[in-house]
Amino acid sequence: MTLLGIAARNIGRNKLRTALTVTVVAISTLFFIMLRTVVWSWTSASEFAAKDRIATRHKVSFVMQLPRRYVDEIAQMPGVTSVSYANWFGGKDPKDENDFFATIATDPASLLKVYPEIKISEPQKQAWIADRRGAMIGDSLAKKKGWKVGDKITLAGSIFPGNWDFNVSGIYTTTTTNVDRATVWFHWDYLNESLPARSKDMVGWIVTNINDPGASGRMSKAVDAKFDDRDLQTITMSEAALNQSFLGMFSAILKAIDFVSVVMIAIMGLIIGNTIAMGVRERTNEYGVLRAIGFLPKHVAQFILGEALVIGIVGGLLGLALGYPFVNFGVGRFLEENMGQMFPQFRVQPQIAAMAFLLALGLAVVSAILPARKAAALQVVESLRRVG
Amino acid sequence: MIPISYNVRSLMVRKTTTFATAGGIALVVFVLAAAMMLSAGVKKTLVAGGRPDNAIVTRKGSGAELSSSIESNAVGLILATPGVKKDETGAPLGSGETVVVIAQEKLGGAAGQVSNVLVRGVPDNVLKVRPDVHIISGRPAKPGTDECVIGKALVGNYAGMTVGQKFELKKNRAVEVVGVFEAGGSSFESEVWASLETARSSFGRDGLVSSVTVRLDSPGAFDKFKATIETDKQLLLEAERETSYYEKQSQATALFVSVLGTVISIFCAFGATLGAMNTMFAAVAQRKREVGTLLALGFSKFNILTSFVVESVVLAAVGGAVGLAASLLLTFAKVSLMNQASWSEITFSFSATPNILLGALVAGAGMGIIGGFLPALKAAGTSPIEAMRG
Repeated sequence: MTLLGIAARNIGRNKLRTALTVTVVAISTLFFIMLRTVVWSWTSASEFAAKDRIATRHKVSFVMQLPRRYVDEIAQMPGVTSVSYANWFGGKDPKDENDFFATIATDPASLLKVYPEIKISEPQKQAWIADRRGAMIGDSLAKKKGWKVGDKITLAGSIFPGNWDFNVSGIYTTTTTNVDRATVWFHWDYLNESLPARSKDMVGWIVTNINDPGASGRMSKAVDAKFDDRDLQTITMSEAALNQSFLGMFSAILKAIDFVSVVMIAIMGLIIGNTIAMGVRERTNEYGVLRAIGFLPKHVAQFILGEALVIGIVGGLLGLALGYPFVNFGVGRFLEENMGQMFPQFRVQPQIAAMAFLLALGLAVVSAILPARKAAALQVVESLRRVG
Repeated sequence: MIPISYNVRSLMVRKTTTFATAGGIALVVFVLAAAMMLSAGVKKTLVAGGRPDNAIVTRKGSGAELSSSIESNAVGLILATPGVKKDETGAPLGSGETVVVIAQEKLGGAAGQVSNVLVRGVPDNVLKVRPDVHIISGRPAKPGTDECVIGKALVGNYAGMTVGQKFELKKNRAVEVVGVFEAGGSSFESEVWASLETARSSFGRDGLVSSVTVRLDSPGAFDKFKATIETDKQLLLEAERETSYYEKQSQATALFVSVLGTVISIFCAFGATLGAMNTMFAAVAQRKREVGTLLALGFSKFNILTSFVVESVVLAAVGGAVGLAASLLLTFAKVSLMNQASWSEITFSFSATPNILLGALVAGAGMGIIGGFLPALKAAGTSPIEAMRG
């Protein structure tokens, strides 16, 4: 009989307890996967951020705007391949004013050139570029709202007052987390022509593609230097740096999630360790018998660790089996549709799954170390004397 | 009825197991209480900014100060509306303010990390309209200068945010910090207050304000004031009582924190309940003989059932109390969170209300009841003869 075989037999002796413990391990694995996916979904934008893209905005405040002519000036700089620009519009669905989603005015043709990861079919792309009132909508938002290509939709402007009508020209999707799938993009021209003279010809931010990804630092400085002596100064940074600075504002929540992950691991460790210890205590005299017939202390310890390992493997696998459908089809779908700005992609990543499984194994073994050492250190006579 | 001291002694016999199980429950109660306290703290901080006899006027449909803009000439009309209180000189108590969010370098974090700080351009009479705001160090800003005062939550947390230092609102347009104010723990304490003219000219907002806050003759004067403001179809404004305005501003962030906390707690609670169940099943198995003896002595099955549930609840309650005590330490901590309504960072504290403490304790005891019930049922079903035979 192998070591693992004995461990497996021992586990079967108290089926209820084992089932409960395996469930705890499985739930913890599932939960760990979920928490880490939240963090991944939130923070991995910079992982996908294009190295050849830099963004420019008003130096002091993101609510302030830049003149439209800055776009043309940047386009003429050497090393720049394409430039696009956008304005935060702040539209709301008049039927549900509390439902937040991004609405952004942009230049369609250049936007799609600068962001190749935004996927839209060619006919829809052409239709959007051609229709001044056309809007391109993220697939998760469109699904949630029931908007289809050809629909007419009305949004209420919070920054720009009034009701604004759009034609849904296309639905886009993306597989990277740096672009969300819940944005309404529409023509900057449509917004601009409706504005009073004092707020005309302004853009919220400018995104630039450069031909040398290694030069993003130098190019950013060059752009800022160009506008330094103007009335409105700019700050330019790589897309990755921009995402980082945005995440900085949520650092407290990220810290809280990290803290909770640790707390959860502690709870799981306590529970597994407790179960193993209970089993060891009940079987003390059996270990005495094993020792009496010639097994060494290390064998006793191995039996116990093996038992824990089996619980870890079974629980971890169960957690993965539950975790994939739960995250990918349950929570993930809900978050992508309802909180698409924060969680553009909410899918289990292989590295997170692997980490969760290893954690389940490692935790089971670590929490068995103490009971195993105790059992191994028992005197044969002493343990044979003890009952129950 | 079997005395509780029997249960307590039984728990003490197996100290390690008892502590491990209670420790699991303590951690769950701690996480739950912490999340609820933070959510309550967010509400408290944001709502504390409002007074029932103040009204805030914004452009219709804007929803928040940050996206609102009102022409200067409308400010006079708003201040002249009946119901607005006058000060001793007969001037209306109202303040047209402009609100901008600036990116400021954060101290103590990673190098170059910036965070958004809200800058409020305020007229000279602002302290009369907001009497809850007091300068606690330095002095008020001199009218018509590039001086500013800052909320006490900002001090030392951002570059240039200390009395005597300067920071730029615009290139070559530095404002000097001359004082620090407190505002009853409200979100104003995370704001910079500069003079209205300085803010407007630095941010190219001449002739505009974001919102107008007025003091009313009495809280009851609000409905009439609101009706007067909103019937003017040319102005396209909306008025809201300051308390309910801030209540709305707090909703998104408070909800986010409490949903996140609840989901986390439910998962952890599941694990800890199963842990308690395991412990109690082991206790029942181990004490089979005792249970048989008790039954033989004449205790009813119901007595046995209650006794084991009580034991489990005692176990959980001890854990819950420890977790709760630990969570109370958090009331000394401060957390900076991004407020989703104003896109700026606000410092919040954990707020422990009796309801939260009681709720967390009940949740802990609930885990004990649920975890202990099945094992107790098993114990109650023991046959005395079999059990005593061994």
